[in-house]
Amino acid sequence: MHKKILIALFAALPAFALADSQWVLKQSTLTYHVSHPLHQTDGVSHEARGKGVCHAGQCDFLIAVPVKSFDSGDSNRDLHMLQVTRGAEFPIVTVRTRLPESAATSVTIYADLEIQFAGQTAQYKQVQFRLETQGGETRITGTIPATLVDFKIDPPSLLTMPVKNEIPVRVDMTWQKQ
Amino acid sequence: MIMGFWLNRFCGVFGISLYFALSLCLVAQTAEMGVLRGKISDSSGAPVANATLTATNAETGQIRTATTGTDGSYRFDQLPPGSYVLKVEAAGFKTLEILSATVARNGTTTFDKKLEPEANAGGNLTPAQQENLPNAPSSSTTAPSLSDLGLSPEQTRGNPQEQALLDKRTRMLKIHQRMGLITTVPLIASVVTSLNAGGKSEGTASRDLHVALGALTGDLYGITAYYAIRAPRIPGTNKRGPIKFHEAMAWIHGPGMILTPILGAMAFSQKNNGEKVHGIARAHGPVAIVTAGAFGAALLSVSVKF
Repeated sequence: MHKKILIALFAALPAFALADSQWVLKQSTLTYHVSHPLHQTDGVSHEARGKGVCHAGQCDFLIAVPVKSFDSGDSNRDLHMLQVTRGAEFPIVTVRTRLPESAATSVTIYADLEIQFAGQTAQYKQVQFRLETQGGETRITGTIPATLVDFKIDPPSLLTMPVKNEIPVRVDMTWQKQ
Repeated sequence: MIMGFWLNRFCGVFGISLYFALSLCLVAQTAEMGVLRGKISDSSGAPVANATLTATNAETGQIRTATTGTDGSYRFDQLPPGSYVLKVEAAGFKTLEILSATVARNGTTTFDKKLEPEANAGGNLTPAQQENLPNAPSSSTTAPSLSDLGLSPEQTRGNPQEQALLDKRTRMLKIHQRMGLITTVPLIASVVTSLNAGGKSEGTASRDLHVALGALTGDLYGITAYYAIRAPRIPGTNKRGPIKFHEAMAWIHGPGMILTPILGAMAFSQKNNGEKVHGIARAHGPVAIVTAGAFGAALLSVSVKF
């Protein structure tokens, strides 16, 4: 009996040793949306970097994107966005989350996100993302329901009319397991 | 006796003057100072009491300390404006260092920060820390860091000087925007009153009104242009989008705003002499219309998405 348990333990050891794995962000499109009575604006960045480190069945993800990398098609607007979000003082937006390793096989996941932006930290609970896995790569899409108030950002205004508080961020990322 | 009375009087007046002068100096100095305040909490959002905060002025090296209260709040009053390195230390938590906390003149800067629990000697979290651990990875020893993503400290470090430049730019362009809007009122009124100003009537009232509105438009336009021209440029920025059209229009309405009143003055003089407007002065009307049109197009280009 003891011998069987020992054999089983030894057989399981390689599995534990192989448990650590990493995810690397291959490509991404992050799009923020701003609503103004006269404008609907989208700012896009493809410059996010990300990594996920898995250990003991849990994966810690970190995604970082330079604030300056968001392009709305209007340099004046982008500079104004950089100013109101204090992007020169806090040049990187970071998103952290922890997910179970098994989540990679799901179609839908709900993630708790911790976002650092504009010198503030905001947490978003149970944000829904869709997963599509194909050829060793996993595509994650979803929308983070961010608001200006969450990051203590004064709503920018045009012609004395302020933009809406809601600035949803669409996420489209492709991760590769290594 | 009389001498003593006047001496007392002079000393009294001098003393009061000195008091007011000193008070004003003190008020002026106080008014220039800033406030740095905020709340320190743990990763679950619970306040961290008795955390020590050290604010070091990046330029002068002047150090100020503060301690958080039971609600986790702290406050530095009367801080000279500038960039500060803010260090937060609390038992059981990792020391947090903010490299660039900018304190604005006469302003209040708020820094709410979360502290990460410190791992104990064995690398594990204490039971109390584990209880406070949210479903976030920042507390994990395996969590990747910004350097793992290949980001250098230069890329992640803030630049308070650039932020100050951006702030100044936005302040000036906001005034530019408002003044531009205000300018449209006398501009439209000038165009409307021009219909009577050039007529054959003997009275000069409508012409005078047109001149007055034109002068007001010119003055307001000058102020509007000043704030756009003097707004600081941000190095390394390539102009894209409607702002290019907005600026291109300035090459039309800018010279137009100079030429229109010159031609207008010539036309005004000719009319007042009982002459028919002739020569180059006849271009006053068309130049004014083109100028107003370019100004309107510039305004619309950054206001409405086409």
